[in-house]
Amino acid sequence: MEISWIGQMLEGCKLTVQLFLVTIVVSIPFGLILTFLYTGKNRIIRALVGFYILVLRGTPLLLQIFFIYFGLPYIPKIGQHLVIADRFTAGAVAFILNYAAYFAEIFRGGILSVDKGQYEAAKVLGINEMQTKFKIVIPQMFRISLPAVANETIILLKDTALITTLGLSDLLKVTNNIVNRTTNVSAYVVAAAFYLVLSYILSVVFKQLEKKSAF
Amino acid sequence: MEKIIYNIAAFFTSPEKAQWFVTELYNNFLEDDRWTWLVDGLWVTLKLTFFSFIFGLLIGLVIAIIRVSYDKKNDTPTTNFKQKASRALLGFFNLICKIYLNIIQGTPTIVQIMIIYFVILANSTNKVGVAILGFTINSSAYVAEIIRGGINGVDKGQTEAGRSLGFGYIPTMVYIVIPQALKSSLPALCNELVVLLKETSVASMVALEDLLSAALLIKSRTYNAFMPLIAAALIYLVIVSILRSLSNRLERRLNSGER
Amino acid sequence: MYEIEAVNVKKSFGDLEVLKGVSFNVKKGEVVSVLGPSGSGKSTFLRTLIDLEVIYEGSIKIAGEYLCDNGVYPGKKEKALILSKAGMVFQHFNLFPHMSIKKNLMCAPMLNKQGSKKELEEMAFEMLKKVGLEDKMDVMPSTLSGGQKQRVAIARALMRNPEIILFDEPTSALDPELTGEVLSVIGKLAQEGITMVVVTHEMGFAKEVSDRVVFMYDGTVLEEGSPDEIFNSPKNERTRSFIQSVLK
Repeated sequence: MEISWIGQMLEGCKLTVQLFLVTIVVSIPFGLILTFLYTGKNRIIRALVGFYILVLRGTPLLLQIFFIYFGLPYIPKIGQHLVIADRFTAGAVAFILNYAAYFAEIFRGGILSVDKGQYEAAKVLGINEMQTKFKIVIPQMFRISLPAVANETIILLKDTALITTLGLSDLLKVTNNIVNRTTNVSAYVVAAAFYLVLSYILSVVFKQLEKKSAF
Repeated sequence: MEKIIYNIAAFFTSPEKAQWFVTELYNNFLEDDRWTWLVDGLWVTLKLTFFSFIFGLLIGLVIAIIRVSYDKKNDTPTTNFKQKASRALLGFFNLICKIYLNIIQGTPTIVQIMIIYFVILANSTNKVGVAILGFTINSSAYVAEIIRGGINGVDKGQTEAGRSLGFGYIPTMVYIVIPQALKSSLPALCNELVVLLKETSVASMVALEDLLSAALLIKSRTYNAFMPLIAAALIYLVIVSILRSLSNRLERRLNSGER
Repeated sequence: MYEIEAVNVKKSFGDLEVLKGVSFNVKKGEVVSVLGPSGSGKSTFLRTLIDLEVIYEGSIKIAGEYLCDNGVYPGKKEKALILSKAGMVFQHFNLFPHMSIKKNLMCAPMLNKQGSKKELEEMAFEMLKKVGLEDKMDVMPSTLSGGQKQRVAIARALMRNPEIILFDEPTSALDPELTGEVLSVIGKLAQEGITMVVVTHEMGFAKEVSDRVVFMYDGTVLEEGSPDEIFNSPKNERTRSFIQSVLK
């Protein structure tokens, strides 16, 4: 193992972390919006969102990445407007769409777990529906969903490695390059160590969050 | 054949669109019988998934038992040397399991597959077999935690009842605890199966001819990524939906016996 | 003029008819206990009075206004106005776990802009004093005992200055030694002139604090009268056997 590897891998890490942050920041709110639409009153919207969640959770992320980058331009008629030339953006879009679906399911489970009595108490106190949703139910939903959200973000961290397939220089691509150049497979071990450290940091962050938001 | 499809499509949309649809359909699936590539790829994907799951289940079961036994044994005090030695041995295996679990669960599946592939495949020509090994190792870690959770969830009274009936530690585990643990873990295990099915698509990146790489192969011939990827997506979707509904039915059947 | 007027209230859950024509009235300031075996529909009836359950036939009047006129309900805004005079205390407290006690009390009035933050804070303090928990203003609900939580729930209901408070088995979810503190708070409130309807299994409370006792069985009111009448000389056979089985 050489020291220069660590430098290169850190560079690759930068991209990994960027993809991770972009995905988290956009897909969690997006997932929340999806949950609202999914639990709303309009039947057509419910069906559409349900279909979206079904497809995004029922097909591999890798396939979705390829589809967004390679397949969108070929959709009849509207395809020409859907070309995403930048590989990072295409990858990010695929990740965001995918994870929003998973978060939507998690939040939906969270909302359903909020005790019915909370709604009743709010009603007899004269709190209207919208306020009940935002001030009473959603704060509790977040707290309930936290472990599942933490789990999902750790999965996301590992999934970021798939961006390699678009040729972007993330941690895994850098590692592959090193292995190909030096035919020294121990580079993979170092890469694994990087991921382990990142996972550990993430789980520590979430443990703190859980402690802070305990009722 | 093409005429029939053309007529049906033309019925729903305009003639030009119908013509386009038929041409695309032909290029992507019928020329050179490319649709068979998808079927072959699907077959490989299914083989990968099911074999990795079965082997992963067995290994995961063993790991879960080691972990649970160590945790439980730590509650009782040691008296003689023989007990201390066996506990130390168990502790050693437990430590190995913990390290194994942490590494597998903390690193991306694609990294694991690449390591297995480039390190081991150098000496082997059975690509599918090596891939199964890789996914087995991956799956076993998650399955181990699921089963461990299931075992811990089994009411303590069950083990006590077993011991009081004269069963030793292993028979109690095998005949009483593990069956119940597997039953309560069933939803999570079925979920892991679905996750595994989707994960196997990663194998396409190490030149394995699974469903996704079959779709990519078609794309490389027709330059149109839309049709083959949609087709592959539909196939994954159908299989995932079948698996999910089967698992729901299985759960319901097993749980109805409880009342 | 009655404070609460229920005439021939009928409700079913699917095929099961739970309320088969319940009628009774409550005068202003009266304390009424509702007794009966499980499944008699007493909780369901209580909940129809505050629009937590919908009836398909019958009328309900709250403080002179029709909450439901022959199965027909008014619009949302009117309903909200009518129901603003009533409050409810639940069997399982239903405090908001993510808010401090102070916030639990102030939340609804603040959202409805019923006073400045300072005014409401003072009012919250007063209400908590009434239930004996003024030192728990900034505490989280999870740190309180069941009896304390229920007393907070009562204080929260009082924040709206209701004319009517409905209690749905307020002590059924409490350990026996904690029921006393809650019952004494309810007893104190009874003396302040608030109209109260209490569904309960606490016979001692029903005997001593209520002005009237109503006995429900299988979706109807079988008997009603003063505590003395119901407990010492019940007229109906079923009432008698219920009282006997409970007092054993």
